[in-house]
Amino acid sequence: MKLCVTLVILLLSGGTALAEGLSNDWLKIVSLAAHQVEYSGVFVYLSDNELETSSITHIVQADSEYEKVSTLDGSKREIIRHHGQTWNYLDNRMVQMDRQQEHGKFPSLLAEQLSASRANYLAIKSGIERVAGYNAQVILFNPMDNYRYAHKIWVHIDSGLILKVAVLGDKNQPIEQYVFTHLQIGGTIDRSWVVAKEAAQHGLLESPEAAGVDINSGWVVDAMPRGFKKIKEIQRPMPGKHTRVTQIVYSDGLSGISIFVEPADGDENDKDGLTIRGALNLHHKVIRKQLITAVGEVPSRTVLQVLDSVRYNGK
Amino acid sequence: MKQEISALMDGELFEDEAEVLLSRVKQDPCLSKDWACYHLIGDVLRQPEHIHRDLSTVVQERLRDEPVVLAPRAAKQQLRAFAFSAAASLAAIGVVVWMSLQLNAEPVPQIAMQQPALGSGSMQVQPKSNAYLMAHQEFSPSMEANAGASYVRTVRAEEK
Repeated sequence: MKLCVTLVILLLSGGTALAEGLSNDWLKIVSLAAHQVEYSGVFVYLSDNELETSSITHIVQADSEYEKVSTLDGSKREIIRHHGQTWNYLDNRMVQMDRQQEHGKFPSLLAEQLSASRANYLAIKSGIERVAGYNAQVILFNPMDNYRYAHKIWVHIDSGLILKVAVLGDKNQPIEQYVFTHLQIGGTIDRSWVVAKEAAQHGLLESPEAAGVDINSGWVVDAMPRGFKKIKEIQRPMPGKHTRVTQIVYSDGLSGISIFVEPADGDENDKDGLTIRGALNLHHKVIRKQLITAVGEVPSRTVLQVLDSVRYNGK
Repeated sequence: MKQEISALMDGELFEDEAEVLLSRVKQDPCLSKDWACYHLIGDVLRQPEHIHRDLSTVVQERLRDEPVVLAPRAAKQQLRAFAFSAAASLAAIGVVVWMSLQLNAEPVPQIAMQQPALGSGSMQVQPKSNAYLMAHQEFSPSMEANAGASYVRTVRAEEK
């Protein structure tokens, strides 16, 4: 009997290791491809009853990545990402939206993320499907508990680019999806906008103030679900805010939760606020005259639990 | 007419119906008075502790005369549901506010006029929420896989 149990355990762990091994390789490829492959395409974002079409171009120039996302429906909006900065391109004017600190060395970040996602999700290869005319490997990430959503990705077999992403709810229903409808990988891709971007940006001074500064705020979360690790705690400027805001970011490898802390300005609208956008859930709360905001790509119950357990542990 | 206004506030009208009704409310002082009154009623129900005790007699009378309005708004659950559905259809306005705050650092005038249409507090939080969503996405691991595509969540909403 004992032998039998051991065998079952061995089989089980062997099976898990196999699935992990697969996901590990695939995720490595996916993450590398997302940074190193040049592509240009059109993708559709779908959530609830909303549908939006955008174009995305990603080029790598002088070891540096440039990425442009433009909306194709409605009025034109464009976002350019470069070097950890996000720019909004509007009426030939570049407006800096955000500036994040440089990512850590890419491989280390990747390794951390991989091991985290392995611990919190079970990756299962589930067949080959066709997306945007390409063959894609479907990989399902099933969460270990109900604090997070299941994720499903369709990976282009040749390049490793993600062709489709679906975040799945409790009943396996898609909460939001991104899917390429057209994609050009490599080849001749328009890069004139990179020059335009550099020109428009020229003369704009980047102050270190614009970036977040690492701090130890003293705010803690007691009931953060297992598997979420703190990856950042910074004090940062925020659009539309006069004071700097504390942001604490947790990650489980595939999803993130951010806690924002700032002085409450007594605005009634800040209380009990709730916003849902696709897989993103956001809640507000006021503690000790501080407005606490929790936001993440996790179910609403997780965001609520996290928010309810935030407390000040400093001096 | 009163029922229509009530339906509008509860988010039960279609967008085009709502638009027609809203423009009538703006033009007709009598209707806009009703509109304001209904909102006051709503405010009382939602946050009684913040309402000044000295309500005008007119309002008190109307409170008594308007059970139709009171019934659906009294349930907090329903209010929330309304906030969601309306947030979806009206997110538009909220995000434009955010966008204009971002770019001009001052609100766009026509937004202020539309404000009553937003009704519940949950929706008015929308313009501010976007800044948090953006800030979160900078560091979220989902960004790593989806690349900039994640920003579409926020970018797309800005333009509605």
